[in-house]
Amino acid sequence: MGNKITVNPITRLEGHGKIDIFLNENGDVEDAYLQVTELRGFERFCIGRPAEEMPRIVPNICGVCPTPHNMASTKALDSIYGVTPTPAAKLVRTLQYNANFIEDHYIHFFFLAAPDFVVGPEANPVERNILGVINKVGLEIGKRVIDIRRRTRDIIKLIASKPVHPEGGLPGGVPRGIKQEERKTIIETADLCVEFAQFALQLFKDVVLKNKDYLDLILSDVYNLKTYYMALVDENKKVNFYEGKLRVIDPNGREVSFFHPNDYTEYIGEWVEPWTYIRLTHLRKIGWKGLIEGDDTSLYRVGPLARFNVSEGMATPLAQKEYEQMVSTLGKPAHHTLAYHWARLIEALQAAEDLQRISIDPLLTSTDIRNMNFQFTGKGIGCVEACRGTLIHHYETDNKGLITKVNMIVATQQNAAPIGLSVKKAAQRFIKGGEVREGLLNMAEMAFRAYDPCLGCATHTIHGKMPLVIDVHDHTGNVIKTVSRDI
Amino acid sequence: MNSRTLIIGLGNTILSDDGAGILVAREIKKRRNGLKSIDIVEASLGGIGLIDLMADYNTVIIVDSIKTENGSPGTFYKLNINDLGDTAYPCSSHLLDLRTTIELGKKMGYNMPESIDIYAIEIRENTTFSESLSPEVEKTIPELAKKIVEELILIFFL
Repeated sequence: MGNKITVNPITRLEGHGKIDIFLNENGDVEDAYLQVTELRGFERFCIGRPAEEMPRIVPNICGVCPTPHNMASTKALDSIYGVTPTPAAKLVRTLQYNANFIEDHYIHFFFLAAPDFVVGPEANPVERNILGVINKVGLEIGKRVIDIRRRTRDIIKLIASKPVHPEGGLPGGVPRGIKQEERKTIIETADLCVEFAQFALQLFKDVVLKNKDYLDLILSDVYNLKTYYMALVDENKKVNFYEGKLRVIDPNGREVSFFHPNDYTEYIGEWVEPWTYIRLTHLRKIGWKGLIEGDDTSLYRVGPLARFNVSEGMATPLAQKEYEQMVSTLGKPAHHTLAYHWARLIEALQAAEDLQRISIDPLLTSTDIRNMNFQFTGKGIGCVEACRGTLIHHYETDNKGLITKVNMIVATQQNAAPIGLSVKKAAQRFIKGGEVREGLLNMAEMAFRAYDPCLGCATHTIHGKMPLVIDVHDHTGNVIKTVSRDI
Repeated sequence: MNSRTLIIGLGNTILSDDGAGILVAREIKKRRNGLKSIDIVEASLGGIGLIDLMADYNTVIIVDSIKTENGSPGTFYKLNINDLGDTAYPCSSHLLDLRTTIELGKKMGYNMPESIDIYAIEIRENTTFSESLSPEVEKTIPELAKKIVEELILIFFL
């Protein structure tokens, strides 16, 4: 072996967030791949279990998106039992779901995006974290973030007993409705969320967009990736997190597919490559074209930027205004990977406005929260937009309702190939002729973080360090350099 | 400030050995005779979620699983917060490390515990969905529970 440097971090999940960069004979970047830990045996674990256990099991497979998994699973159960939730039940579900979007998007923005943009991409890594953000923007803002998080999690807890791993999820309804006496707090939370969403957007504009260096970074080719995009949209082709049809647009913004999630296997292909455990997704009708961008690619992206590109606008008025500003700044489709952050904040505003609408709807406190008129089908596909992108759960059962088949399409699986390409573009700037320049790790991380990838089931960590590791391989495959943060 | 003690069992009980911390917490529950003032919780979370759990407790004991280089499954370590290194910037929003979490909690005005001990069990397998443990990890569960209970008895009664 050649000049191999190995670092063995003490992490709970080895290989967690590992990036491999391969150089050609000239020492320039040829490919970059995202590696994640393979979690095995989920289907086997589920087979033979009653389908109604699934909404309680699936939140445990991911500590990052428990509510979306719970909701996709519950919607799959609706189909297995051939039952439509009552209007009040749907309202309660969307209350829970919007609360999840608000909480999750702010955690991402303030903990992940803000250290780069508020503290600065060049800042000392020790200060470039949430504590550095608070030092810069003030403790009061930090407290507001924590307060919004607590309040939105209280809503999830109210409905599904535990915010981290929701336990609710019943076909045709919800396990618990909203009581009149609970409405006042929900209204207060919704109002605070709308106010905070506007504040967060203003902060983004003041700190990021008005800073020419940051705006140039967002607009730069390094962080631009031309792909297709996919997301759920409602009947008016507006952004919808809970339901709708899946729409796919090409890199030039033209609609190429518009289909019911039940038909996902006709449109979404899964591809196995030797370097990753992830079944890489692509547009089946085009076929696998490899890890390329541009007009000839078959790769699509999901998540906030995809929803911005795929939809014809936001579903609520204040968010729509913000959307229009983003369109006028970046155009559509926007291929700017760092614009994921902007789209995320606009979505948090839509979720907050929707929370406000739901909080004052008289139907919210109805006790008609369960439709038990079951017409058993034995097959269910549940699709939602998770914060990170489209999430599909597909279950089949025997005639007793015991699981016989499980398939899932998750957001990070769909973004995995584009994440590799985004990292490759960042790496090309920092590796020339086999020489790895200072700054690679952070530029690669910024590309990576924009997607907020969830890397498996590491629901908690006790290691002290960031687990991202980049291995640079020469053209023979030997690791010539490993870049990581002081592990 | 709550002067009571909290034991947090961390892990994921459907990912093989990953649930070891939770199983130790359950074992402590069974053996807690005379230690009624201790709260015991099971959690599958990390980062800022831990702030909510730990706030207002004086003493917190975290039991979790760990994988170290060349570690021997079934052994356990007692660590403290300083063993976990400096604050860090995670690559995924829900992976905030414990030390940053505690500093953040303090900054936000939460009463964070004065004492945090971490017991970490070296595990073999945490990438396969299963509710069973590796034999050597399973054997450690009651041993570690017994040790933690004995230490607590010393603190409380001596």
